[in-house]
Amino acid sequence: MSQTSRFLVPLEGFRARLDVEEEMTANIRGAMRKRGRWRFLSWLLPHSILVVFSAVILLPLLWLLRVALTDKSTAYKIPPEWGQANFDNFIEIFTGYPFFSYFLNSATVAFGATVFALPLAVGLAYAFARYNTGGLSLRLFVLSSQMLPPVILVLPLFTLFLKASLINTLPGLILAHMTLSLPFLAWLLVAFFDGEVAILEQAARTDGATRFQALVRITLPVAAPGILAAGLLAFLLSWNEFLYALILSGPHTNTLPVGLSSFQTHRGVDIALLSAATICAILPAIVLLPFLRRYLIKGLSLGALK
Amino acid sequence: MRLLLSVLAALALAVGAAQAQTIRILMETVPDTRYIQELLPQFEEETGIDVEIEAISYIDMHSKLVPQLIAPEGSYDLIVVDFYWVGEFTKAGWLMPLDDLVERDGVDVDVYVPKLMDLVGRVDGVLYMLPFYNYSMALIYRQDLIDDADEQAAFQEAYGMELRVPQTWDEYWKQVEFFTRDTDGDGNRDFYGTVIQGQRGDCISMQWANYLYSQGGLYHDENWNPLLDTPEAIRAMEYYREAVENYSPAGSEAYCFDEAFNVMAQGRAYSFVTFNILYAGFEDPESSEVAGKVGITPNPGGGLNGGWGWAIPNSSPNKEAAWTFMKWAESAAVAKERAMLGGAPTQAQIFTDPDVMAARPYYPILGEILAGTKDFPVFTYTTEFVEQVGLELNLAATGEKPVAEAMAAAQEKLHALLVKDGKIEE
Amino acid sequence: MSVATAGGLTLAGRDRRFGLLLTAPGLLALILVITFPLFFTLFTSVHDYTLLTPNYDTFVGLENYQEALDEEYLPDSLWVTTKFVLASVVIEFIIGFAVALSLHATRRFQSIYYLILLAPLLINPVVVGLLWRMLLHSELGIVNYAIGLVGISPVSWLGDADVAFWTVVLTDIWHQVSFMAILLVAGLAALPREPYEAARMDGASTISCFIHITLPLMRPVIAVAILLRLIFAIKTFDIVFIMTKGGPGTATDLISYYIYRAAFFGLDIGRASAMAAGLLVIILALTVYLYRYMNSLK
Repeated sequence: MSQTSRFLVPLEGFRARLDVEEEMTANIRGAMRKRGRWRFLSWLLPHSILVVFSAVILLPLLWLLRVALTDKSTAYKIPPEWGQANFDNFIEIFTGYPFFSYFLNSATVAFGATVFALPLAVGLAYAFARYNTGGLSLRLFVLSSQMLPPVILVLPLFTLFLKASLINTLPGLILAHMTLSLPFLAWLLVAFFDGEVAILEQAARTDGATRFQALVRITLPVAAPGILAAGLLAFLLSWNEFLYALILSGPHTNTLPVGLSSFQTHRGVDIALLSAATICAILPAIVLLPFLRRYLIKGLSLGALK
Repeated sequence: MRLLLSVLAALALAVGAAQAQTIRILMETVPDTRYIQELLPQFEEETGIDVEIEAISYIDMHSKLVPQLIAPEGSYDLIVVDFYWVGEFTKAGWLMPLDDLVERDGVDVDVYVPKLMDLVGRVDGVLYMLPFYNYSMALIYRQDLIDDADEQAAFQEAYGMELRVPQTWDEYWKQVEFFTRDTDGDGNRDFYGTVIQGQRGDCISMQWANYLYSQGGLYHDENWNPLLDTPEAIRAMEYYREAVENYSPAGSEAYCFDEAFNVMAQGRAYSFVTFNILYAGFEDPESSEVAGKVGITPNPGGGLNGGWGWAIPNSSPNKEAAWTFMKWAESAAVAKERAMLGGAPTQAQIFTDPDVMAARPYYPILGEILAGTKDFPVFTYTTEFVEQVGLELNLAATGEKPVAEAMAAAQEKLHALLVKDGKIEE
Repeated sequence: MSVATAGGLTLAGRDRRFGLLLTAPGLLALILVITFPLFFTLFTSVHDYTLLTPNYDTFVGLENYQEALDEEYLPDSLWVTTKFVLASVVIEFIIGFAVALSLHATRRFQSIYYLILLAPLLINPVVVGLLWRMLLHSELGIVNYAIGLVGISPVSWLGDADVAFWTVVLTDIWHQVSFMAILLVAGLAALPREPYEAARMDGASTISCFIHITLPLMRPVIAVAILLRLIFAIKTFDIVFIMTKGGPGTATDLISYYIYRAAFFGLDIGRASAMAAGLLVIILALTVYLYRYMNSLK
């Protein structure tokens, strides 16, 4: 048996155990089927909660879509008049504004910050979880910067970046956003490295794997979906960040939040353009969501946030 | 990943290559900025200088500017400065005096309306800015209602006076009361005599200033002694509170100008004391139901003067090119073209230029409005003052604090800030 | 491959070394971009550092702290922030947990539910603020129109001090509850199944399963979710900046907007830093408490 497959044995055992559990759950469900009233209730209650919740989330967004298809005057008509829907606003945000560049910058920065922060955060979190490196004080230090209002952090950061010629550059913004996502990721990932994975890893170590091999071949694959999930939340953190993006960026590097904010003008809020731009900013992500969801839920479930 | 890197590299190259012959300007998002952008090709052709304009929201401008201005060399060659910040920016020494350049190139700065030159031009005799556009405040009202024969008769009967464009505050207030109505008879008023923009901070501070001037009040005397607890100031606040309670939509104590604009634009109010630049929005059918029905006139007793000026920051990497651009943008021809497109003029002759008047018939009134405006206190801590007094005004407007008490607090705040700035003794 | 001790290092020593090796790159990055601002904040807080005189020529000791404490409206802001953080985190937790449990219990339409759940997180807070300002316009908002159809009189969502506070809390919840729900549903999915099966065999009810199995097992996840949300909630800025500017009166004057004003409007970075440092101490104490509590339950 090669070394690699030996390490995989515990992992397969783990998966086998999950299958057994699946079977057992099915048995339980079978037993429950007999209790029809309970089954109906257990179907009705969650769906009722979710339907109400979804409606509360969704209705404002549908209104946003409606406003995007009309003009400001129609948007504020009460009682509502639907008017003729048109795509003028969508055309204007792409022709009259550097909207595509905002979008590309945001995607680049959020993606870059997440991709670069993840390995660093994995290192931090793994050491925290497995070896308690630095103890509580180090963990607190890592998180402490997140406890200061960004407005206080951004001035020294600006001075620092100016000296390093990082103002108005995407790498600079990526670095700035990493300082936001790194502490967040490290704290979240600690949870993924505790629990089941530790037992699997111990088994591999007993089989003769080095610490590094155990980390790379056991822990990371098992926790990988979880890491992706945490990464998604970190991505969103960066995607929505405003103050750093405002102060550290320039005409070539402005991100979506800065661009969207500029629809608040001294002659009022260009609400129809803003709505269209927001819809455009959400839509591409929605196309990706089912894919992300698979990793998110599967990820967090295996990672074991315990 | 490779895509990411190539994007980064491409952008880095673009930035690097463009730097040599490019000037960068930070502006706020207003139509005037777009007009400048429309006319840019002219300038680029004439001078060979590339211009990059970054337009961001006015509410983010100050936060964006300050770090840039503190820096020894910032990213912007030319900026626009709101009158709020004039005291602060010049006190901190962030703006470059323009007197030498004006003299060297023989630029005539007497073309500007003196009021604007005092506000966003000269500070203590030194020229730091050229006025870019003005947003002085005025009274926007429903001309169609004033012209309506039935309304005229009813008003005559109720008040024994003619219904016309209001000339005095007393007359205006009668109209405000007269037009506040319950049109559908459900017991709640749904047409309003005026609209308040009473949100804490900037919104209420700006609008209330007009109420203060209407009562003959001022913020301070010639020696900077604050006057916010005078009978005029208290009366102004009482009027404001009365409007919130009786003549303006419930909840308007939380409106900023956009919410208030929409109430008027949807045809639900008779009048609105606000920035003159909003008038164009009322005349635009895309944002307004009352296009063609509104008029604009000076606030009785005087409105608030407001404006933005061009300035070259000391941290500007390319001052000479920035000056070239400023001269072009403020040249008689370009200033006129901007006004024809709908810009808010700052040079006196533009308001009455025949071509401009043909395109924008109401511009002479804008000139008249500007001439009658009064100044907000411009000192180092204006922004802080707007916030502090804006809180006290809002507390009085919502009824949380008695009017006299709030005004006493406002007086105290202004006094403290003026002392801090060395304008007056303790 | 040997795991025996070598090179004179004990097993624990090698663990420690490996731990340090792993933390080094992350820590280096953090030290570079965090220690400096952190140090800057503390250093600035004891100097007369303003935007007009951005230098460290005048050491003022604790004067900035004293000045901040003397400010008339700071207690209001601290109280509003406390209420806001408590209300939003507690309600987000309750709703988030209900949604997480429901999602965990359903199979059908799950994709649609997840899509909707994630949507608000994709919208940036500035837009969220502007969107709700439009929806809640007291005169022209669709919300007041809709409740009018069922006979409820219009509400002054942002004009009345008590209502405005809850409007801001609810807007924040609308935006952020998904964050909590996602973390909690993940925690639920990760729970071992054996205890439930054993309990079912013993005839335990769903409610008793929830109280005796789910809650205790979920405690660590709940602690992480609440801790992170708490820290984010204390820093809430955009929603009040866009929707209320802290008003009416001081009803929604959150501390981060207060500090923002001290820094950018008051131009007094020294005083703003002193307030930020005070806030840091409070949050650190809270975190230590929560962390200890979390560990005590293990």
